[in-house]
Amino acid sequence: MDIFLQQIVNGLTIGSLYALVALGYTMVYGVMRLINFAHGDLVALSAFVGLTVYTQIFGEGITSLIAVVAVFMFTAVIVAVVGVLLERLAYRPLRTAPRLSAVVSALGAGLVIQNAVMLIWGPNMKIFPSEIFPSTIWAIGGIVVTFTQVMILGLSSALMVALYFFINRTKMGTAIRAVAIDQDAAKLMGINVNRIIMVIFIIGSALGAVAGLFIGAYYRGITFDMGWMYGLNAFVAAIMGGIGNIPGAMLGGLLLGLFNAMITGYISTQWAETFTFVLLIVILVFRPTGILGEKVAEKV
Amino acid sequence: MMNKTSLIALALLVFMGFYPLFVDSAWLAVGTTFLVFSVVAFSQDIILGRAGVFHMGHAMFFGMGAYTTAILNVHFGWPILATWAPSVLIPMAFAFVLAGPIIHLRGDYLLVATIGFNIIFIQVLENDVFGLTGGPNGIFGIDIVRLFGIEFASQTYMYYMAFILLGIALFIMRNLDKSKFGRAMFYINKDEIAAQSMGISIRYYKLYAFIVGAGIAGAAGSMFSVQYSAVSPEAFNVTQSIMFFTIVLVGGSASLPGVLIGTFIMFVLPEVFREFETARYLVFGLAMILTMILRPRGIWPVKFGDIPSYLKKGVK
Repeated sequence: MDIFLQQIVNGLTIGSLYALVALGYTMVYGVMRLINFAHGDLVALSAFVGLTVYTQIFGEGITSLIAVVAVFMFTAVIVAVVGVLLERLAYRPLRTAPRLSAVVSALGAGLVIQNAVMLIWGPNMKIFPSEIFPSTIWAIGGIVVTFTQVMILGLSSALMVALYFFINRTKMGTAIRAVAIDQDAAKLMGINVNRIIMVIFIIGSALGAVAGLFIGAYYRGITFDMGWMYGLNAFVAAIMGGIGNIPGAMLGGLLLGLFNAMITGYISTQWAETFTFVLLIVILVFRPTGILGEKVAEKV
Repeated sequence: MMNKTSLIALALLVFMGFYPLFVDSAWLAVGTTFLVFSVVAFSQDIILGRAGVFHMGHAMFFGMGAYTTAILNVHFGWPILATWAPSVLIPMAFAFVLAGPIIHLRGDYLLVATIGFNIIFIQVLENDVFGLTGGPNGIFGIDIVRLFGIEFASQTYMYYMAFILLGIALFIMRNLDKSKFGRAMFYINKDEIAAQSMGISIRYYKLYAFIVGAGIAGAAGSMFSVQYSAVSPEAFNVTQSIMFFTIVLVGGSASLPGVLIGTFIMFVLPEVFREFETARYLVFGLAMILTMILRPRGIWPVKFGDIPSYLKKGVK
């Protein structure tokens, strides 16, 4: 029972990281019908940017709330700028091109970011500073919860709730939903589509940056090519939930995190990815548009 | 009548035919692998370019062919020639079983599902299932082709075997193009819904393309395993699949010269720039973005008239 509860805590932690990354995928997909294959590499980039910001500006060994908040803000801003540049340079020229051309462009952009990280920070694994969060540990019953886990769960849920209200309650959110449904009609209603897409990339990249920092703080070891695996898992989560659907990405992320934790805790770590994709394929066979995806009739 | 394209094709054919005479063994091996990868790229093109199935796991079928030859030869002592048929048929069978339930999915879902198949395939290889696949190191010591007492061992033989394989693949592509299958593919590519309303079974033809593509990739895989006399999982991972996927789109989907150019750019050029080990993939990514921006349909896109010329015969 203790293992079970422990794996639930771990699963929810990983799951909220997947969900944060999945939101970036699903928002871009919802508006542009594009799988942003570079998003995972943005997540890896943010872990490295965070590392540099923390050690260069604040020096090692400093743990203060201000420093941590500053690292998060700084990284989010830098990565959001990279995300906007990415859209401007690699995706916008291809908006009217065949859809697969944009996919190749995204793959190319991912390669560029990944190798830029390798050239700047080197090919070896870097250790993320452990002091960024206090090493407090709570033992409740038989299960162990770290401060980092609480931070991850707390901040991710806060961000997701904020995003949900932003999308559903504000004027900008309404515009985003309008663009997702029909770009041309939205344009005719006076919505600046380019600006909306920029906002999407800012939000998606910033959420990815938060996830990247958390991945650094939680797993400690960061490598230049780690973005691919996190990105793929997050994308699988987005598809499980129903791509383009924001609550779907959150649900998919948490579900995948819990599922992964149960598989690695009870069955096998060697076959973890196999189980992930078998689950994905089973979900797709029975619900071709994901768990929360709606069935959209095809227009002729 | 010779037009410009056939002249270029003839020149290329002559060049490729005499290529082994001019180069050292390292470049000869690159040439052989180029031919093998072109075959895989053509089979990817049948699935992605012609049938329009978003397929990003093609290295799996390539790997299945290679591992079939390796396992049958090393563990069961079959001669290489005898493993050729199973190394084509096994990928085809897997393509049927795996793609059957998901072929109707929307493009991007299919993309991730096929990546998933590829990842599962790699885990099966790495976890050494039934002690057959040799784990992360793969399988060593694959035999050479022996026929009538001749041992086809040298790299030059390998090159010409791959050359013949490419010829066979091109012959199959041409026949597919001119058959009922090719016409169905053409219309599905033009407009899926219209094709469906004309009574073309999209599901049947997409699955057909998937299975044929898997079989050709399997044959290439068998050749690949013989060329290197070893197989290992990392030669067939998702990165390789992405390469085949990109080859088709960078070159120009459904275009024969396009796919060859794509293979050249994505495989041979990185070999040429091997000395710039660290920076080359950065430049590579930039080149992929630029190519797509400047030529969204690929470097040598296929010219799709409204009606294919072989249907216009005798019609004014």
